[in-house]
This record gives sequence, structure tokens and C-alpha cells, in this order.
Amino acid sequence: MIWEALKSLFKKPLTVQYLTKPDEKVPVPERYRGKISYNRDACIGCLLCIRTCPAGAITADERKVSFSLDRCIFCGQCSETCPRKAIEITSKFEIVVYTKSEIASQ
Amino acid sequence: MIALEILLATLPLVFLLSLLFEGIDRKVHARMQRRIGPPIIQPFYDFIKLLVKENIVPTTAARSIFNASPSLAAASSIVGAAIPLANLIARTGIIGDLILVMYLLTMSSIMIVVGGSSSGNPYGAVGFSRKIMMLIGYEIPLLISVVSISIKAGPSLIYYDIILAQIKSDKCLACAYISSATAALTFLLCISAAVGVVPFDIPEAKTEVIHGPLIEYSGPQLALLKLAKSSTIFSLSLLAFTLFFYFPTIYELSIVLGEIATLGACLLGSLMVMLLTVTLPRTVFARLKIGQAFKTYWFFPLPMAITSLMLSVLGW
Amino acid sequence: MVNEREVKYDEFARFILPVGPVHPALKEPFHLKIIVKREEVLDVELRLGHVHRGIEFLAENRNLIQAIYLTERICGICSHSHTTCFIQALEEVGGLKPPERALYLRTLIFELERAHSHLLLLGIMAYQIGFDTLFMYTWAAREKVLDLFEEITGNRIHHAMNVIGGVRWDLTPKMAEKTIRVMKDIEVTTRRIYDFFRGETVEKRLSGVGLLSQHDAHELCVVGPTARASGLVFDVRKDDPYAAYGDLNDSFSVISKKEGDSYARTEVRILELFELINIVQAALDRLPNGPINLGESPVRLMRRIPRGEAISRVEAPRGELIYFVKTNGGDGLERLKIRTPTLANIISLKKMLIGCEIADVPVIVTSIDPCLSCANRITLVDHETGEVKVVNADELRRKKS
Repeated sequence: MIWEALKSLFKKPLTVQYLTKPDEKVPVPERYRGKISYNRDACIGCLLCIRTCPAGAITADERKVSFSLDRCIFCGQCSETCPRKAIEITSKFEIVVYTKSEIASQ
Repeated sequence: MIALEILLATLPLVFLLSLLFEGIDRKVHARMQRRIGPPIIQPFYDFIKLLVKENIVPTTAARSIFNASPSLAAASSIVGAAIPLANLIARTGIIGDLILVMYLLTMSSIMIVVGGSSSGNPYGAVGFSRKIMMLIGYEIPLLISVVSISIKAGPSLIYYDIILAQIKSDKCLACAYISSATAALTFLLCISAAVGVVPFDIPEAKTEVIHGPLIEYSGPQLALLKLAKSSTIFSLSLLAFTLFFYFPTIYELSIVLGEIATLGACLLGSLMVMLLTVTLPRTVFARLKIGQAFKTYWFFPLPMAITSLMLSVLGW
Repeated sequence: MVNEREVKYDEFARFILPVGPVHPALKEPFHLKIIVKREEVLDVELRLGHVHRGIEFLAENRNLIQAIYLTERICGICSHSHTTCFIQALEEVGGLKPPERALYLRTLIFELERAHSHLLLLGIMAYQIGFDTLFMYTWAAREKVLDLFEEITGNRIHHAMNVIGGVRWDLTPKMAEKTIRVMKDIEVTTRRIYDFFRGETVEKRLSGVGLLSQHDAHELCVVGPTARASGLVFDVRKDDPYAAYGDLNDSFSVISKKEGDSYARTEVRILELFELINIVQAALDRLPNGPINLGESPVRLMRRIPRGEAISRVEAPRGELIYFVKTNGGDGLERLKIRTPTLANIISLKKMLIGCEIADVPVIVTSIDPCLSCANRITLVDHETGEVKVVNADELRRKKS
């Protein structure tokens, strides 16, 4: 153990900084489930996503749907249910905002 | 009176140095765990933050003792660290009684647990009984080892006399006699228990008794207790280095480079002692149980300290 | 149950030490009332229920697809075990047979999850005995598994891998390669961790602490590594193979120890890490080609599940996990009953804790690897009379509305 500790003293720390370089974040994998992107034109208004959303984050909105991201649990079920692939999961993860009203506008 | 002035002037220096030592300790500890670790001046941030926080006194606490003990603990350990430092700077033995220094350091750790047990929290009480057990374990070898070298250096219990003896004999005490080498080893072994870090942080074990005596403290009181602990670390490392490993070359440095160099070399040496006796054990060992720790001290450092004392009386 | 009034307070050295619900040694809330005399534990009272979420009730108000994600969120560590168990029951009711490749992928994720769960526990074990460095090293290894999860499934903890009739994501050859690489890394690290755990300071704290004899383990019906460390050889993966474990039967053996102390429970987990590396490698070697799910829309599949009931069990990292599922023939559930491994194991704590030292309490509690949000049930106790009553579903419904 002592040798292990002393050896580690001269190795690089394993900690990964949030910004690996200035303006450069740790890359996220391809399948990472982040913010939902919704193609309103492709949506046919079947409302199946509302039925399968486990968090109740999707509501009907003039024969289309709208998302409240503050309730979203990023499971990706809606994008799988959607028959027209109008809902896609992006890898965008920085969605922190200061007030609740800003979430709705996203 | 001059001595007293020097002592007072040293107090802020002790404050700065002990927090700086703690910062280095934390940084090295983190690097050994392959973390980045906090900035070295993090303890200063912590101290200032805690100072401005609210002080909460539990209703079950014995108020006066609860409030007084952090200040007493911090004051005694800072003075305990300032006396050797002031002696080193002033180069006199005017107020350097080793018994006083050891007393102040013990006083500091006792005040911490007394405050904790007066908080009325059962964890504080468990911490108190554990600390008393530990005190019996490590304090006796620690004191005997100090007595053992003071016999070799005079006999004198004046701190600076021991340093002078090392300068005169042209050898550091730990290299000069077998008895002093044993005493040095005993002292080094006792440091980690005396300051209460892993593996001997049993009185304030985080996962067992939730910081024991410190559990009910908050704000400025907690800041003072933390300061007390870090200045005890500083003081013991400084003592260990200067009492046992004061190489005469350190003294000769002052002739070439000035007095600051001597002081700097001493501080660097005590930093090394701290890294070896505080940082390294707390990185590579698991916490012991109270019975195990007690046994460790009675079966290993205590016989060693007694041997050292006997050897030094016999003149080895 | 300890009656406070019976405890003699006049005895100086004896007092009640509350452990939890908020305590640094417990990462999740439960309450232990410990009566101690100096350092010795005389009696223990366990109280659960601080994080009761009413999941079984919630599941009955949702449709099957929504319930999958609900069961996934029962546990933050063995999320895949819960969904696998739930979906297996659904598939049994619906008579659906997922393709071979899907079963292999489920097994793969299952074993990776076991790796991350066991590494997590080893780290926490080290932390409980004040060994922060070992904790950091262990969790550094765990981080690699989590990164692998992120790559394969898109999330570190809640994988959302299982769908009715298969899995959602396929394993690309690149990912398979990376999995093998990570497994080799983990094997090296685990060997080192095993050395550290066999080192003197750690063994001093763990061996002989929290003894659970084989007889007691059998009587108390403990499961998983806790049972296997007490000499019971029982593993759902071997005894009642599910997913692809039937085919992979020859690639692993059941680890069992006789000692029954905290050290044995830790050691069983370390040795299981080596076994699961074999399983992962075998699963990757034999991974069949073909579809990964039934290829139908999830909503249609959900509607195909008739009224019926099924019991399903899996070997979660902490032990045997049992689901009882009763569907209502529409798309919802009539009843969901979950028996999590911690619920089976936590009773044994009382047996282990009595007679130990205060310093051993966190070690023993951690050694059964409690996952408390899985294990919370409601029992109402009348404080005045001590009368215990259980709330049934109808009453709970009335209370909610």
C-alpha cells in the first residue's frame, strides 16, 4: 500500500475536469440521452408518446404535443414510441436554467 | 519581557504556518489518492468561512464549558507551538520549558473532548471516553521520550538547551546516541495518535461516532477547534524535528545565508516530519479499533520509551 | 423490540446511541437505536420507512411501459436487475420470447452492473473503516464500468436497456472491444484491491466481526452474498437460470465461504468480481447474431399482454430479487409485489450487531450491502399501546385521496 500511495503521488490525478481545455468539455458518447428535440412538422398527432411517457412530461397541444423538460427523466421512451421519428434524443446535457419559466421556453 | 514580546509576535506566524501545513498535508494526501485536491490555502478559506457562520449551542449543553473549551484548546495549542518557534527565532532558552510545551499540547486535546462531552450528545460522550483511553496510551511514551533526550542534553528541560547540545556535539541527537534514536522513533510513532489522524482518529471517527467531540460545534467555535488541531500537528512536527534531527549544518546555514535560512530549514524539516508521520499513515492505513490502538501503544512505543530512558540513564 | 422504559437509566455506562436516519456511515436513511455499555452493543432496534415511496401502489396506477421506468428507479444501483425481473414476468404472462441476442445482451449488462455494484460496496467498506485511499482506488475502477454503461446504453445508472421482448440498444463491435479492455483493467485492479483487503490493517477490522452462522442464515432466509458468505450455496443464476445464464452455465461457479463474518462477505464479493469477468468474456465470445427485440411497436406489444400473473426472480448484485406481477388484461397492472434482497437481509443485522463494538456497527451494516430505498415498507405502530397494524392497499388508497 505504501508503495502504491507513493507511486500515485507522482502520477497524474485521475480526476477529469469539467472543461478539459478552455472551451472544451469532456466528449459525451453517441448514445447519450440528453435534451429532447421535437420535429413539429413530422408529428402526426397520434399522442402515443403521451401514453407511454413515464413521467407525464408530455402534454397535448393543438393536435401536436409539447414537452415540459422539468419533468422529463430522459428515458428516451417517447423517441422509441414515436411512429414517425418526430422525437429525437440529442446529447445536449447543459440544460440548467435559473427559473422555471426558462425551462418551458427551451 | 523581550521574550514575551517575541512570543506574542510569533503567534500570528504560528497561525499562518499551521494552516499552511494543513493545506500541504491535504494536497499531498489527495495526490496520493490520485485526486487533484484542494488548493494549498484551502484551510484559510475554511477558517474564514467558519468564522462568519452562526454559532449554535445545543440546549442540552453545559453552556459555559461548551463555549469556553474551543478558545482554551486553540489558545493552548497555539502557545504550545509558539514557544519552540519563538525560541528558534530569538535563539534563547528563556521561556522554553519542554514540560510546559507538552502540557499545553495535552491540555489542548483534553479541552477538545471536554467541550465535546459537555455538549450533551451521546456521541460526544463516546468520543470523550475514547480520547481518555488514547491519552493513557500515547501520552506516557511521548513524555518518557522527551525526558530521555533531556537527560542526554544536559540534563536540561529547556528547549533551546537541547538544540545547543546538538550544535555543540556536532551531531543531531538521534544520530549521536542509541537511547536518543529510540526516543526519536517513539516520539515519531506517537505523533499520529497525539494529533488524532487515521489510523488513530478513533475519538473522532467520522463513520463511527460522527466526529465525536466536534459533533455539536459550529461556526467560530468549530473554526477554533480545527485551528487547535492543525497547530498541534505543526507544533509536534516542529518539536520532533528540532529536538531529534537538528543537524548542526542547519545552524551553519545562518552564517552563510542569514538567520532566515536556518528557520526555513527547520520548517522544511518539520514539514518532512509531518508528511512522514501524519500524511503517510493516514493515507495507507485503516482506522483501528480502540482496543487495538491501545494494545499497539502499550506493546510497542511504551517498552521502547522505557528502554530509551534506561539506556540514557546508563549513559548510552 | 426494545422497550425504553425497561432499560435501566441509572446505570452510568449504559446509554442509547441513535444511529441514523442521518449518519455519515449510512448513505441511505434508516434508524438504528443501539443500547451500548461503554463500547459494547447490548441491544439493537431497527427502524425502516424513512424513504417509503409507495412504488407498488404507483405501479398499479400506470400502464406497463410506464411501470418499467418506475421499477428501474426503485434502486439507483441495481436498476437493470429490477427491469429485467419485471419484464421477464411480463414476457411470461404474454408468452413472448425475446431473441437470443437480446438475452445475451441483458446478461452482459446484468454482469457489468454487478461489477459496478460490488466495486461500489468494496469502496464503501474501505471508507467505513477509515481507509479513504482504498475507497478512491476502488471507485476509480468503478468509474470505468460507468463510462462503459454510458457508451453502451446512454446513461450511467438508469440504463433503460430493457424493453418488452428484448433490449433497446445493440452492442457494436467497437463497444465489445472496449468492454473486453475494461474487463481486463478491472481484473488487474481487483487483484490489487484483493491484496489491500488481505493486508493486515483491513483484515484486523473485518475478520470475526458480525458473525452469522449457517444455521442463523438459513433461519433468517438471507440471500445473495450475505448467505453465500455464511456457507449457503445458493445463486439464482445457477439454480434457476434466466436470460442467457443457462447457456453460460459453464463459465462461472458459485462462490461460497464458511466463515460468515464481514470479511467473508467482502471476500465473496471480490471473488465474484473475478467470476463475472469470466461471464462477460464468455457472453461476448458466444454472442449470437440476429435481432435484438421483437421489432414491433412497444405500445402494440404492451396491448398483447393478457390478464394473468407470474413470478419472476433474478440474482441481483445484493441477492435474490423476486417480482410478483398480476396484469389486468388492459395495459395496466392489478398488483405488483416486490421482494428486494435488502428486505430479506436486513433482519439479519440484529443478530450480527448484538455483542459487537460501536466501531463495528458501520462495518456490519455495510457488509450486507443495504440498499434501503428498495426495502422500505410501511407498518403503523401505535406509540401508546405498541399495537402494530399493516395498512392494506384499499386503506392506502383512501388515505391518498
